[in-house]
Amino acid sequence: MFRAVCRLQWKASFTAVALIAVAGFIVPLLAVQRAGFAVGDRRAWDLVTMLAAVESAGSLFQILAIMLGLTLSVSAWSADHQGDHVYALTLPVPRWYYVLLRFGAGVVLILPVTLAVGLGCALAIQGIDLPAGLRSYGTAITLRFALAALVAYAATFALAAGTKRTAALILGSLVAVFAISELLAMVGVGQGLLTTLMVGIFARPGPFEILAGPWTLIGV
Amino acid sequence: MNYAIETTGLHYRAGTTFELGDLDLRVPTGSIYGFLGPNGSGKTTTIRLCLGLLRAARGTIRVLGHAIPAETHRMFARVGYVPERPHLYPTLTVREALDYHGAFHPRWDAAGATGLLRTFGLAADTRINRLSKGENGKLLMLLALAQRPDLLVLDEPTDGLDPVVRRDVLMAVIEFVSESGATVFVSSHLVHELERICDWVGVMDRGRLVAEVPMHSFKNGIKRLRVRNAPAQAGDMPFVLLARERADGASGTEVWVVRGWQPTMHQYFEGIGAVLQDVVDLDLEEGFVELLRTARSPREG
Repeated sequence: MFRAVCRLQWKASFTAVALIAVAGFIVPLLAVQRAGFAVGDRRAWDLVTMLAAVESAGSLFQILAIMLGLTLSVSAWSADHQGDHVYALTLPVPRWYYVLLRFGAGVVLILPVTLAVGLGCALAIQGIDLPAGLRSYGTAITLRFALAALVAYAATFALAAGTKRTAALILGSLVAVFAISELLAMVGVGQGLLTTLMVGIFARPGPFEILAGPWTLIGV
Repeated sequence: MNYAIETTGLHYRAGTTFELGDLDLRVPTGSIYGFLGPNGSGKTTTIRLCLGLLRAARGTIRVLGHAIPAETHRMFARVGYVPERPHLYPTLTVREALDYHGAFHPRWDAAGATGLLRTFGLAADTRINRLSKGENGKLLMLLALAQRPDLLVLDEPTDGLDPVVRRDVLMAVIEFVSESGATVFVSSHLVHELERICDWVGVMDRGRLVAEVPMHSFKNGIKRLRVRNAPAQAGDMPFVLLARERADGASGTEVWVVRGWQPTMHQYFEGIGAVLQDVVDLDLEEGFVELLRTARSPREG
């Protein structure tokens, strides 16, 4: 049963997942290449600039993780939405179990992309002679990518599973929060409400924190 | 009598315009039950309620002995459902759709499914989003039949299909029922289609079940009578008068549409001083139309 659901998820999302996997493989190679670590003559470069270049490329990992989560969750539910969930609701399994199967199938598809990222990281740092005091974080980046993709997937999966009404409600709430924040900022009260909210979601200890902050393949 | 589907006092309201009122539906086990009604009469809503896809405001539903909605998923292990609109995953091929469906259904008949693929002329490697409407209808029927269900629920299964496909689909249903003895609950507004296959009929109109009878009694009981010199007040009738109209081109002659007719009832007309000139059998469609007319504006004899 789970294998059948995995196959369905794969068929619905394989093009996007394959593209993200390719990108995940290339990003670490490009990051190292652009920063100049792979070039023999390191004297021409300033280490700070090199690390900044690696860190800058690292933000692509965040984007890829979010894209992967979003792709998997949207593709998990889009066909069901089109058919008003009739097919899923008429399967002889409890609804919670079906949702779990669909969620699990998405998680399985995070694995090959994570593998591509890990392979890319391993190849990128293989053979480069890091200056004293610098370390590579290939495994950490790979694990972080997997967790970030999982968090993004879980959050968007919950949203995508809802009805259009639920989606409209959530979107409406976000727009309302943004509008109130802007209005308050205009009259000089409660400045930075949106910023506070974003900090609350992404920076404070919590699952979304993994998506924020620097992603450095090479650091001190 | 055992019932495959049994509802009691079922009530459902959708917005302010549609209401399903106190529906007591009983589908005998082993029957082919035709669920008739004009568009918007509540057939699909009733089916969705019975399958736990909608929640009733009040009332009870039992399908194959399972309480709905509490035991919906257990019920679906024994129920094949062909909905009004196709709902399959468009990225799958026909073969993949069969495999997917079969993975969930404990009584899946893989060999039977392959046989039906040939019967229906469906190519296994065609993607579902490339199937025509008729092919989609056949695939939905195939999936429902290969589950080997105890109850087959078909919601307008042949709506919009060409006559050849329609015949193929109905033949497959008849063959399945003759082999398995399963109950079939089929909704349609194509009355002639149901007339050929059903042994029970339920008629919905404006959210109410206006008739639920064996097909033979529905068909045989509704007659068109040609009556001469009938008095305006016709007294107590031994049958139900559905319609009474003046006949064209003959003064003093009327056409009566009645339900519950028996041959011995001609004596009634002698008793009221009228002459019964002719008794004509109505087919199901005519009977259905007359029944709806009566349900909407009841007449008294």
